[in-house]
Amino acid sequence: MTDQSKKKKEKEKVKVKVKENPSHSKSISAPQAFLIHLICGLGLALSLWVANNLYSINLVSDSSLTLRLIWVVESAIVLLIYSLFRIDPQQCSYLKAVARGILALPVGALVIALGAIALGAPVGIQYLPKTVNWSLLMSSFTVAPAASVFGSSWTFWHHIFTQTKPNGPLEYMICIPAHGAVIGGWFGAWPMPLDWERPWQEWPICVTYGAMTGYLVGMLASAGFVLAHGRQQCLKRD
Amino acid sequence: MGRRWWTRWYSWVILVVHVFAILLFTRGFLLTRTELPYYSHCDDISQSPCFSSSSSVNNTDSRCWNKPAVGRLVIIVLDALRFDFVAPSGFFQEKKAWMDRLSVLQNTAFAEGSSAKIFKAIADPPTTSLQRLKGLTTGGLPTFIDVGNSFGAPAIVEDNFIHQLAENGKRVMMMGDDTWTQLFPDHFNKSYPYPSFNVKDLHTVDNGCIEHLFPALYQEDWDVLIAHFLGVDHAGHIFGVDSKPMIEKLDQYNLMLEKVIKVLESQSEPGGLHENTFLLVMGDHGQTLHGDHGGGSAEEVETSIFAMSFKKPPSSVPSEFDTSSCKLDLDGKKKCTSSIQQLDFAVTVSALLGIPFPFGSIGRVNPELYALGAGTWNLDGINVRDSSNLSKLEEWLLNYVNVLCTNSWQVKRYIDVYSTSSVIGFSSEDLLHISNVYVQAEQNWAHTTKNLLLYRNESCHTLLPALTRQIDSYFSFLSNVSELARAKWTEFNMKLMGIGLGAMFISLFIIFLAIQRINNLHMTSLLSPGGSRISFELIFAFFVVAIRACSFLSNSYILEEGKVASFLLATTGIVKLRSAIMKKKMQFEAVSFLLLTSILRFTIEVGLSKQAATSLFLSASPSWMFGVASGHPLWTYLAEIGPILVVILLAWLLYRTITSSIFGGLWNYITIGTILGYVLIAVHWVAESNIHSLALLFQGIAKGCIPRMVYAIGLGQLFLVAVGYLFGKDREFDCNRSLVMKTVAILSAWSPTIIILSGKQGSLAALALIIGGYCIMRLESLEDSDSDATAQIFTFNPLAVTQWNLLAVCLFFATGHWCAFDGLRYGAAFIGFDEFVLVRQAILLTIDTFGFSHILPVLGLPFLAVRHFLFGRNDHGKGFLFTQLSQMYMMYGLITATMVTVTIICVTIQRRHLMVWGLFAPKFVFDVVGLILTDALICLASLLYSGRTEE
Repeated sequence: MTDQSKKKKEKEKVKVKVKENPSHSKSISAPQAFLIHLICGLGLALSLWVANNLYSINLVSDSSLTLRLIWVVESAIVLLIYSLFRIDPQQCSYLKAVARGILALPVGALVIALGAIALGAPVGIQYLPKTVNWSLLMSSFTVAPAASVFGSSWTFWHHIFTQTKPNGPLEYMICIPAHGAVIGGWFGAWPMPLDWERPWQEWPICVTYGAMTGYLVGMLASAGFVLAHGRQQCLKRD
Repeated sequence: MGRRWWTRWYSWVILVVHVFAILLFTRGFLLTRTELPYYSHCDDISQSPCFSSSSSVNNTDSRCWNKPAVGRLVIIVLDALRFDFVAPSGFFQEKKAWMDRLSVLQNTAFAEGSSAKIFKAIADPPTTSLQRLKGLTTGGLPTFIDVGNSFGAPAIVEDNFIHQLAENGKRVMMMGDDTWTQLFPDHFNKSYPYPSFNVKDLHTVDNGCIEHLFPALYQEDWDVLIAHFLGVDHAGHIFGVDSKPMIEKLDQYNLMLEKVIKVLESQSEPGGLHENTFLLVMGDHGQTLHGDHGGGSAEEVETSIFAMSFKKPPSSVPSEFDTSSCKLDLDGKKKCTSSIQQLDFAVTVSALLGIPFPFGSIGRVNPELYALGAGTWNLDGINVRDSSNLSKLEEWLLNYVNVLCTNSWQVKRYIDVYSTSSVIGFSSEDLLHISNVYVQAEQNWAHTTKNLLLYRNESCHTLLPALTRQIDSYFSFLSNVSELARAKWTEFNMKLMGIGLGAMFISLFIIFLAIQRINNLHMTSLLSPGGSRISFELIFAFFVVAIRACSFLSNSYILEEGKVASFLLATTGIVKLRSAIMKKKMQFEAVSFLLLTSILRFTIEVGLSKQAATSLFLSASPSWMFGVASGHPLWTYLAEIGPILVVILLAWLLYRTITSSIFGGLWNYITIGTILGYVLIAVHWVAESNIHSLALLFQGIAKGCIPRMVYAIGLGQLFLVAVGYLFGKDREFDCNRSLVMKTVAILSAWSPTIIILSGKQGSLAALALIIGGYCIMRLESLEDSDSDATAQIFTFNPLAVTQWNLLAVCLFFATGHWCAFDGLRYGAAFIGFDEFVLVRQAILLTIDTFGFSHILPVLGLPFLAVRHFLFGRNDHGKGFLFTQLSQMYMMYGLITATMVTVTIICVTIQRRHLMVWGLFAPKFVFDVVGLILTDALICLASLLYSGRTEE
């Protein structure tokens, strides 16, 4: 009993805090959110298409090069778009937001790579470029957009990545796809030990597929949440 | 106090149920057969009733058990030869692309007046090449546990016809699949083995065979030639049966066989090299359309034998013994194929070659295959001297009866010897029945021979029915034996397996109910009802356990079980890290736990690579952690000194613990013994080390002395613990303190023995266990610190127990073990002892295998319960503590039992799987032993920890 009420109070407190804070100076409407997600998704598809048709490589035939192509395209799109919605436009110029996203990219990649190694990703010279490129891709799914939006504001990071209590469209759009990518990658590792002897079972191909699927599903879900959120706001206003 | 009584005996009930379930299941599942080290010899025949001494003495100079019927033998084995590759397509409903490809065999067999025949050969499961070759050559039914088999080396130790060939001066030449040279390492005069493991290579073995086969056919330096082709098997594995490479392979074989037959025929004129040569083209097993084999389905067990004699037998076998089934083909021509059991192969070939039948063979001489040998039609030296008035057919039958007589005598001898020397023999009524049939056949034969001798001139026309009757009575004996042997050695007893599985489910249900019940009792006493909620941790723990359980359903995940466990452990670690960051405390513990998991993960991979290399590496590298670049002196120093330093560190930690305020009394002395043990271990390792200057320091110490001292100290400590349990006065302390002391004491009593048995990795593994346990314990209190955690479903943290269990599993793999018999570290059994005493060495081996993964974690579980006390928080009192402890033990037992139940389900489903004997069954054995050990330890622990403190 006491516990529940306490938790409720906490939740309310958080809500109050968020409302007090001008958490997103530029609010995002539902169509805008859709558009951003669409561009991110299309970017992913475009990079895969380019790899396949222009360079005639894919994840199976040359995974590290393909991964590099994908993360370069994807991180560029994500950084350029999400920097528009930085939370502190007064203190931070657009370029600065992009720059802090670029800085966060390798840092996030390092953390993600360490996590992957703890989980059992192979280490070895021949896997190094693959791991580096894969973790940069994961980083551009997860850390980079958050960094260019929130900067080094620890409370927001804490709020989104450890408590998973996103609030408002922008936080949904960062939080849900990022979690989707991580969880998708985690599930994507499952087929690796199977003895099917398919080339895509190699590290990091199926993990990448899993992460991309998770990311896409996460974007869909976040679009849904944004829509629901918008309706709620409308109802409240009425 | 009925509840007290109930919780006290509950764990014993579980132990009994588990033992019962596992015994039943094992009886149904693990088919065992004892390999006998006996061999047949030429002069054994004098003990048989088949040769009356008067006639045989003067004839046995040139021959052994019976007269050789063929001169030379060519055996061409085509691996995974389906019956429909050989038989005419008219036998099947539909003509497929792969049928009628080996047309030369069909044309030869169905030609007018041919001395060739196509047989459908029925194999016995398991239909894997190794087991089949073993079955083909020994004439027995190989099972999973062929007791007496030297683990690791696959060489056949049982009597077999290759051995008999070598014994009796026949020269054997072998080419192709190198499995033969593994099975028979020094039986061949000449061999051209080619590696068989690369399934993707369709041609190396076959081309090598062909290269050596044709020159050999012109040479005189062999009596038996074996050529084993692998292409069809590999093509099936990779492409399936209905594929272009398969058809190309079959076409290639057709050409090859055509040439072989032509070469043999060209030299088969009287006086030629192949005047009396016998050709066998055969498969060892079939395959499914996907190219799989190993199981017992019709496609897998039906293979084919094509037999051809280059000296024409004068007549064909009498119709009573003809098993052929015939079909009319499109031209209205009758085409017949016979059928044969693979079990009969060894004895029939032995009879044809005139060598003693393998001791353990339980097959019978097949009349049709035997009749193809031209030599079987010439009677000589059998007790009918003037054979002129006998028809050809009668002559053959007489000869065949004699062979069958020897055959039956040999099988009877094997069954008798087997049932006296094997622990799990046949049941007595079965044996009695078989004996009766045999005695009847023998009496019948004695009667017939008497008649034969008395009335041989007058009543020769009555000979035929008498012989037929006799053959029938021998057949009845032999088929009785093979039926019994099949039931005993190849068929699982599904009823027993089902009951065993059911009992496991019941035990799971009991544990679940017990947890529920304790919980309810406890909840009603402490809290108002309705306040409980299902926490995230509970769901997550359930999820992790479920994933691990499901992973046992696939062979790949079982192979990499260690990796799966470390993956899940790291996942729980990451989740814990996340909540640690969220709560902004104990981040250091969470990070170090993750770090530990990463290290464990690497050591597990080292173990896996060792597993891949099998037993070769086993004795070579005890220091697995640093075995990577063993050449460098720095590594040597690290590998030698590191573990020793860690042991000293452990001793220091223990010293710190006992000098802290909470310790005193008897338990203190027990722990001091352990410090002494650690010091001894350090000295032992220094004395054994490769670094010369270090080893010189302690040269004087006898090698076996220190380990024995360590074992003695351990035993003494356990004795003291028992004394302390019986006469201890625990009431002086509060229950938390005494629980901590007892746990530390019993862990420290066990640890020196386990460490010294594990070798140098032992101290590192112990350190890993301590660090891991400490982190789990600290992180466990993350959840309950903010809101006092009384409103959860359980009185304890289920995720922590799951982590504890996963850590134990990881340590099992990280210390270089795996679930296979070659994963046992046999070297550990001989630390401190040189001579072999079964019980003593088995105990040491068990302690080494399960020490870090079962003994220490189970006994150390109370640390999770007393964390409130250790970290200076108020506790809920005695009752709460012991409820919590018993619930934790139940949870731990539940997790282990769930895993074992899933393993059992898995082996039940996969009982006809290719890898059942190589992978699933060893896994089953290890899991089952682990479960019983865990249950027993839980019983002891609950006795020790909770026993005397209450009232």
